[in-house]
Amino acid sequence: MSLSQATVEKIQDYARRYPSAQSAILPALWAVQHEVGYVTSDGMREVAQHLGLPASLVEATSSFYSMYLTRPEGRHDAVMCVNVACALRGAEELFAYCEQRLGIRDGQTTSDGAITLRSTIECLGACGGAPMMQIDHRFEEDLTPERVNAIFERLRTEPAPSPEPPRPAAVPPTPTPAAKAAPKRPAGGSRPREKKADT
Amino acid sequence: MAVATDQVTLQVDGVSVTVPKGTLILDAAKKLGIDIPIFCSHPKMEPVAVCRMCLIEVEKMPKLQPACAIPVAEGMVVRTLTDKVKQYQQGVLEFLLINHPLDCPICDKGGECPLQDQTFQYGPGASRYDFQKAHFDKAVPLSDKIVLDRERCILCWRCTRFTEEISGERELALIKRGVHTIIGTFNDEPAQSVYQGNWTEICPVGALTSRQYRFISRPWDLDRTPSVCPGCAMGCNIQIDSRHNKIGRFQSRENLEVDDGWLCDQGRYSFPYFQRDQEFGSPSIRRDGQLAAVSYPEAVAEAAARLQRAGSSAAGWASPGATNEELFLFQRLFRETLKSPHLDHRQQGIHETDPEDIGLPIADIERCDHVVVLGGQEVIDAAPVLHLRLHKSQRHGVAVHRVDEVKAGLAAVPAEATVVGVLATAARRADAITLQNQLVSKVKGSVRRLIVVRGPNGRGAKDLGILPHLGPGYAVLNGRAGRPRAEWPKAGIRALYIYDASPLQEFGATEAELDWLRSLDTVIVQRFKPSVLDEYAHVVLPGRAFPEKDGTMTSMEGRVQRIATGIDAAHVWDDWRILQAVANAMGAGWPYRTSESIFADLAKAVPAYAAAAPAQGRVLWGER
Repeated sequence: MSLSQATVEKIQDYARRYPSAQSAILPALWAVQHEVGYVTSDGMREVAQHLGLPASLVEATSSFYSMYLTRPEGRHDAVMCVNVACALRGAEELFAYCEQRLGIRDGQTTSDGAITLRSTIECLGACGGAPMMQIDHRFEEDLTPERVNAIFERLRTEPAPSPEPPRPAAVPPTPTPAAKAAPKRPAGGSRPREKKADT
Repeated sequence: MAVATDQVTLQVDGVSVTVPKGTLILDAAKKLGIDIPIFCSHPKMEPVAVCRMCLIEVEKMPKLQPACAIPVAEGMVVRTLTDKVKQYQQGVLEFLLINHPLDCPICDKGGECPLQDQTFQYGPGASRYDFQKAHFDKAVPLSDKIVLDRERCILCWRCTRFTEEISGERELALIKRGVHTIIGTFNDEPAQSVYQGNWTEICPVGALTSRQYRFISRPWDLDRTPSVCPGCAMGCNIQIDSRHNKIGRFQSRENLEVDDGWLCDQGRYSFPYFQRDQEFGSPSIRRDGQLAAVSYPEAVAEAAARLQRAGSSAAGWASPGATNEELFLFQRLFRETLKSPHLDHRQQGIHETDPEDIGLPIADIERCDHVVVLGGQEVIDAAPVLHLRLHKSQRHGVAVHRVDEVKAGLAAVPAEATVVGVLATAARRADAITLQNQLVSKVKGSVRRLIVVRGPNGRGAKDLGILPHLGPGYAVLNGRAGRPRAEWPKAGIRALYIYDASPLQEFGATEAELDWLRSLDTVIVQRFKPSVLDEYAHVVLPGRAFPEKDGTMTSMEGRVQRIATGIDAAHVWDDWRILQAVANAMGAGWPYRTSESIFADLAKAVPAYAAAAPAQGRVLWGER
């Protein structure tokens, strides 16, 4: 299996942005993950080829970071923060509720392939909205069982998020129209935000 | 004496020492004989300071500093023996051992393991850790040569840095992170490098071990013999480690001028070819179509009688894996005793040769500003350790051009070049000389060449005149030249003496040559292991493998190095003794008792070798 022309062009574009091709490994891996759904070994090999780097270096880099997926997962990625602030606001109980609600355990994917649930992430820096979870590239904050239900219901039918690799640091981030249009603090307490570019 | 400003004076444990600027504290201390324990630091690699074993106190610096990574400064006061340092050394070892399996009793490294030795010398003595250790995969095959124990690994990065800095292949990497970190190849694919044996030597624990040496011996049970690798013409220095008179492994024996401390896997793992794992038959004579076992004197007498009948129509082929002493006698047997000029050591090609082929010593590659590798990978394949020297040179700014054609080589080197080297195999020698001549007219500096010959003593075979047209020392044989091997089937040859000294550099007969062998009156085969040639032989003379004999070998750069007997094979005649007996049976009257006495005569015939004689012990003599 090889990557699509669009992804290859993206990778080549990243390679041109930095003085060293090594710097383009992270965004290139994101491009692979967005196309394939996870970082495959074929994908890493192709990244290495396009960047002119040894494949071992690409695997060393991708395996260092926890947000590159190493196997196929659900259409949507639901990661709940259970670090201190969220834990104090009931994240662990809420996570148990999520597991029960979806009928899966930490790290598993629902049988319809819609949602992968995880709690294996460190603080996402949204303690003000604790407890919170990251759905694909967006934050959902001030969670309650009711809000979790609503989110899961929505995800069951929603298609996978469109590939939206984080912008490399060399380019100043421009907010997406959706993020711009979103109210700062909607009435429901939800505050969708674009995920940060760094991993 | 360097200029004062390039030197730095510091104190280590109260003793003053002056070293060049940029020296690491570790090396300054070493100069005083003060040993600072290390794991990750390696003299041939950039410091990384990941293992923390070398922490020492430096006055005016708030915390302990890694001696392997901090350069010296004027007036620096270093302390390596304080209670605080000792406490940290114990602490570091205690941490390193938390997840280390401590399976030393079944570990191949036990007895020569830096972790074991330094735990004994600097460690806490007992563990306070009574929780479950982290478990990883054990006995993971990294390739057909290496097995990796991930529990023993202390993540010093030496092997990954070797593949990055020394070989440049970057096959090994640190996968995952933190406590989950492991060493591995991309996608767990088998490692392809031909320098993997070096990983086992630099590994400071028993994580990377050779499959060939697995559970073979304890290091303290090994007999160690200095020798030279029998693989190729590079002349890498090795140590033959043997136990119970069997070869256990070949280890590197650092010679900065030749191998820089490294070996390739072809050489290192070649030893089973030289293992006397069974008896390889006694001398034999063909009677009624069958080989019949006889004594050495009988076989020698038969060989001599047959050769004498052939006289000057006898031809001799000697392997470029034989020693100089043997080749010298072989040459005398033909030129002096039989008066036959038909000598060769080559296979099919007829490659010319002259002393300028050794114009560029291996170590001088680093001192070139441009090196052209004519033939690219085929040169590396012929002498793999050459790649490590080229890679090192490249890292230090030498421009290395791997080209296939003379034209490309000429274009690659700019006119401003001052020191230029040309490397090529013997098959491309003519092209290499063309390129050299063209470069000489193009560049303002000097141009030298180094030809990679075949066999560990291919250069010696040329030096000593195992050639139809050149005598010892490249002496021209006006009108007395013989025919090269390729022409023997049509040259009226009646007897052929094949000295097949090494299983790695065999006679390698073609189909046509085998037909020719069948038609000959006499075929004499002197060899170590039974070979296909036995079937064609009228006399078979079993000799010794290279670890079983002593003598000298001349590497491709003209370096004469000694090999010593590491394996006892007293019941088999030494090869030079067989050659002498055959010649003496024809009345030669040679008096040699040892290989050294042959070398003395050899040095008279080839004056360049006199400088290499053990008594002078210098110039070409690489023996350390």
